[in-house]
Amino acid sequence: MSSHTDSSQTVDLAEGVNHQVAMVMDLNKCIGCQTCTIACKTNWTDSGGREYMYWNNVETKPGAGYPRDWEELGGGWDDEGEERTPGELPEQEDYGAPWDFNHEQIMYEGSDEPLRPMDDAADWAPNWDEDEGAGEYPNSYYFYLPRICNHCTHPSCVEACPRSALYKREEDGIVLVDQDRCRGYRYCVEGCPYKKVYYNAMKKKSEKCIFCYPRIEGEGPEGEVRGPACAEDCPPQLRMVGYLDDEQGPIHKLVNEYEVAVRLHPEFRTEPNVYYIPPFAPPKHTQDGESTDEERIPREYLEELFGPKVNDALDTINRERQRVRNGGESELMELLNSDRSEKYRLEVFDEA
Amino acid sequence: MKRNELLLAVALAAVVAGGTVLLPPVVGAQTEPGVPVEFVETSDGFDSPTGGGWDDVQTSTLPLSSAGADVPSANDVTVEELQVASVRTDERIYVRTSWADPTRDTSDSTVREFDDNVAIQLPSDSDEQPPIAMGSSDNPVNVWYWSGSGNSEELLAGGPGSTTPFEESQLRTEQEYADGRWFVVFSRPLDPDSSFALLPGSDDSSRTTIPRDDADLDVAVAVWNGSNMEVAGQKSASQWHRLAVSSGPPAYERFLWVIAGVAIVLTTIVTIEGVRRTRGDE
Repeated sequence: MSSHTDSSQTVDLAEGVNHQVAMVMDLNKCIGCQTCTIACKTNWTDSGGREYMYWNNVETKPGAGYPRDWEELGGGWDDEGEERTPGELPEQEDYGAPWDFNHEQIMYEGSDEPLRPMDDAADWAPNWDEDEGAGEYPNSYYFYLPRICNHCTHPSCVEACPRSALYKREEDGIVLVDQDRCRGYRYCVEGCPYKKVYYNAMKKKSEKCIFCYPRIEGEGPEGEVRGPACAEDCPPQLRMVGYLDDEQGPIHKLVNEYEVAVRLHPEFRTEPNVYYIPPFAPPKHTQDGESTDEERIPREYLEELFGPKVNDALDTINRERQRVRNGGESELMELLNSDRSEKYRLEVFDEA
Repeated sequence: MKRNELLLAVALAAVVAGGTVLLPPVVGAQTEPGVPVEFVETSDGFDSPTGGGWDDVQTSTLPLSSAGADVPSANDVTVEELQVASVRTDERIYVRTSWADPTRDTSDSTVREFDDNVAIQLPSDSDEQPPIAMGSSDNPVNVWYWSGSGNSEELLAGGPGSTTPFEESQLRTEQEYADGRWFVVFSRPLDPDSSFALLPGSDDSSRTTIPRDDADLDVAVAVWNGSNMEVAGQKSASQWHRLAVSSGPPAYERFLWVIAGVAIVLTTIVTIEGVRRTRGDE
């Protein structure tokens, strides 16, 4: 690890990386509209063996996610963070497969049925369990979890590749697959505990989220520096994009100063650089519709997802929210409610 | 010449003739361990794995075991031996590999599907013996690689994880699966075509030249069973063996040696008899 230090903070970066891109997603703002998913897909994965891939997906939690039950497939590092723990490759069906429709009957057999999937077209697909969540009426609950590659500081996909085809970019820590070096062994697919590396069977190579690096290099629309498409196209603008080591930026403040942005499954020990503001929900109701003091989303479940730090994060946000309610000021609340112009800080380290 | 002396001369000639015909292959088998590469006039019958030419070619069985590479499940391999036969013409070398695999895996079209593979490893420099695990940066290997999904590649490697395809492969492969066995024939020109460089315009000395005259070349093989999800370093591999490339002799040469042997014996006997008679006359 190398580190950037000032008087009060130390930001750990991966060895050999100058800066580290990072993203904070505020789960309280996600409406599950999948605009981010479509933005990513139309940019990067709409053909050529990538049809089944969603480099960005939004899944309902609690839920099986995409690919199905990815949290149970292993990968990542041991408790000491030193030895890789090999995982399993998902079944192709767990990603979802194209559905068969009744084209044959309509086009060639004269059927006047409406176009529809065949009866046995699928029994699983991404978001098959959308909005199901958990809990019992009137206290059922769910929230949406957008996911991309975490561009980890300690990426087990990079470690898994015997050909060193995966690497962290020196300038910004983006994790990429060198397509010339990759031979489709798929150790990275099993090695990533978030299952965010995908096998392209047409190319016989692995592929993954590239953090829209052409856009952040100014090669996007109109030749301007833009954030990743998933972030820029988000209707509620729930994502902040910048550098973890930009100590004046909102990401550094949310992650390292206020510690309200937490990692998904920190126990995998890959040290993700995508962080989440944990979700709040209205308190539980009685059968009569009266609010109680009990939290609707169980803390135990949030701890399962985000580790024990989620407790302090939630408590801090509650405290700051109360401060504003009482007429006070809160930098944290301002950060969480910033407008679009403050959500993307991507040129702070550009050479003058 | 007495009758019994004549019989002795004929017997001697027969021994010489028989020895000329029979001894070279026997002696060759003892002094050329590993995989003999017989010379053949034509490739007829050798292009195909089931071609009739292979019926008369000596087959060697190479034991295989886990390559012990630093990848998960490296020791979980299933193929225990591989049979190799080889011939060469004036232009090309043909190597037929064969191994038992009850599952025919020819697809890697979904994330958990792996196809069957076989590879032949040769030193880039035929005078060297590189490290068995994919050679080293200063002692590289060539790998002839066949995959069940239909591809074949000619690769260069200078250590584990460094495999790189040559720009254009000069390799031809044919395969057949029958009765629970794969048969794969590789063939390549003896002399690499320098226009097929690893990098366009570069000197292509890293491509193995197959020697033409009685010479040995190291060879190793590896097999992957797709059903067992074997890939990369999770493979059954052999140690180095000797690929004993023969310069012949062609059949007509043997015939000439027979005539020469008989002539030498008869000349010797006639000379001895002549000397003896001359002495008897004195």
